[in-house]
Amino acid sequence: MQYALLKKDHLNDFISKLAQEQKVVAPVSRGFGQFSFEEVADASRIILKHIPTILPPKKYFMPQEETLLEYNLSEGQSMEAVVECQKMVLFGVHTCDLAGIQCLNIAFSERPKDFNYLIRKNKIAIVGLECNDYCDEYASCSLMDNHFPNGGYDLFFTDLGDFFIVHVNTQLGDELIEKTKVFERADKSHMDTLAKMREKKRGIFKNEVDIDHQELEPLFKKSQNSKVWDELNKRCVACANCTNVCPSCYCFDVTDELQLDLKHGKRYRRWDSCQNEGFAKVSGGESFREKRGERQKHRYYRKFLYPMAKFARFFCTGCGRCSRTCMAKINLKETIRSLITEKA
Amino acid sequence: MKKPKVAFFDFACCEGCQLQIANMGELLLDVLHLIEVVEFREVMSEKWDKDFDIAIVEGSITTEHAVERIKKLRERCKVLIAYGACATIGGINGMKNNFDLDKIRQTVYGKDYKYFATIKTQPLDAIVKVDYYINGCPVYIPEVVKVLKAALAGLPYAVPDYSVCVECKLAENVCMYEKGVTCMGPITRAGCNSWCINNGNLCYGCRGMVSNPNQNGAKDVMEKYHISVDAIKNKMDMYNTCRELKDEQKKR
Repeated sequence: MQYALLKKDHLNDFISKLAQEQKVVAPVSRGFGQFSFEEVADASRIILKHIPTILPPKKYFMPQEETLLEYNLSEGQSMEAVVECQKMVLFGVHTCDLAGIQCLNIAFSERPKDFNYLIRKNKIAIVGLECNDYCDEYASCSLMDNHFPNGGYDLFFTDLGDFFIVHVNTQLGDELIEKTKVFERADKSHMDTLAKMREKKRGIFKNEVDIDHQELEPLFKKSQNSKVWDELNKRCVACANCTNVCPSCYCFDVTDELQLDLKHGKRYRRWDSCQNEGFAKVSGGESFREKRGERQKHRYYRKFLYPMAKFARFFCTGCGRCSRTCMAKINLKETIRSLITEKA
Repeated sequence: MKKPKVAFFDFACCEGCQLQIANMGELLLDVLHLIEVVEFREVMSEKWDKDFDIAIVEGSITTEHAVERIKKLRERCKVLIAYGACATIGGINGMKNNFDLDKIRQTVYGKDYKYFATIKTQPLDAIVKVDYYINGCPVYIPEVVKVLKAALAGLPYAVPDYSVCVECKLAENVCMYEKGVTCMGPITRAGCNSWCINNGNLCYGCRGMVSNPNQNGAKDVMEKYHISVDAIKNKMDMYNTCRELKDEQKKR
């Protein structure tokens, strides 16, 4: 069965049946127009129409802080690798965030492989959720070509009023369908409704910035010495919100810490950011990117140029989180527009 | 291993940071397995007049008498830990530096003010070498434990030089500015794990500013959220007035 149908009335059964067996996380409201992925027991708290959550679902694949190994100093160099992971279903992931997870998969599969990430990833079932309309004015998913589903999920839900059309993409997705027994067969009329919605969606989602997708890489290539970075230098306060909320940022810092007995200890990693003052500091106190503008430029280049050379893929997903959360109103779409104007 | 001797002292402060130690609960038992507390006015009556390993010092320096006392303390200990906002950055006591010292004395001591000598508020490191810093008003116990472990193991502890926003985002709090509240998080040094914001309060900037705050950029933030310069200045002055004193010293 490639496509299935779930009546809206049965969504609660689907979620609560899954939640009896394993952890289920889904977008819930945090008030003030903000959302986050949280554990749910049924569908009552789930918000289907939401702007991107404060943190992307990245936090389940690469937790903010995670133990990598535990050691015991009283036995010489005795240490043991640790992977903290748990089986779970991640429900309600927008196409931008699916793209973010795909980026992380690529980065962490590179040699040396990141086993903590890869082991954890295999425990997570992903259920995507289509955006039929824009979430808000910050999104640039159309520019990044992430507004339509493009893989990276086990099941994919499209809300069509009284029912969801569900694309079954993997064996694991099929198992979720079999296990919960709340799905029906989708017939031709349902598929026509889906096609109609997608056609309408093509009219709604337009390239948000006046530049072709393929032209982004050359634009950044010739903007190395742009004045736009000086402008960002004046504005950025280096709060690092942009990178901490980014679905494709994966930098981390590793620390060893002893327990109070000063014998046992653990090595853990924690999200780090190229925007932080100390990130590019080396011994002697020198910093490779002392100016905030240089750090901002680095962030943009890690999304639009370097990953193109390395993975032939943009690492910006168009989710708009960096612009939404910026304390200094630095807006990704405006930055690209300024670069275009300057080079015109 | 002989337990290191640790002593607590205080200068101008409310002694609330020392109270945090007394409030540690069961964790305190683990800590006391590691150290021998030889003097701690708030919790014990014993005194210690010999040398010791670690001095944990709360409070800021506000009189000539305090200057002499901290210098003598420094000579008696191997490691000195500046403990709490007053000791590390001058803290609330720094507000005094915004006023004429004579006028301040008159307000506090009335007509006999001349008998009460005073100097501008200074953090400990303006007078003596400080080995470890534990910021905060009050200190954050998990960080106290971290620094204590570092000091006992002879390892350095670096106070994070990024903003509270970093830890606040990792905790996935709704931004205070989204709630219409002015928060000092964006320019305040992290290390507290955004303790206040996690619990529904805003950041008051008690840990001092990051080493390289963008003052021009802060204006954009204020404009975005319609906040007046005076409102921000008042909030910054609450803990950070001594910073200006440090800037002056740098210029000299």
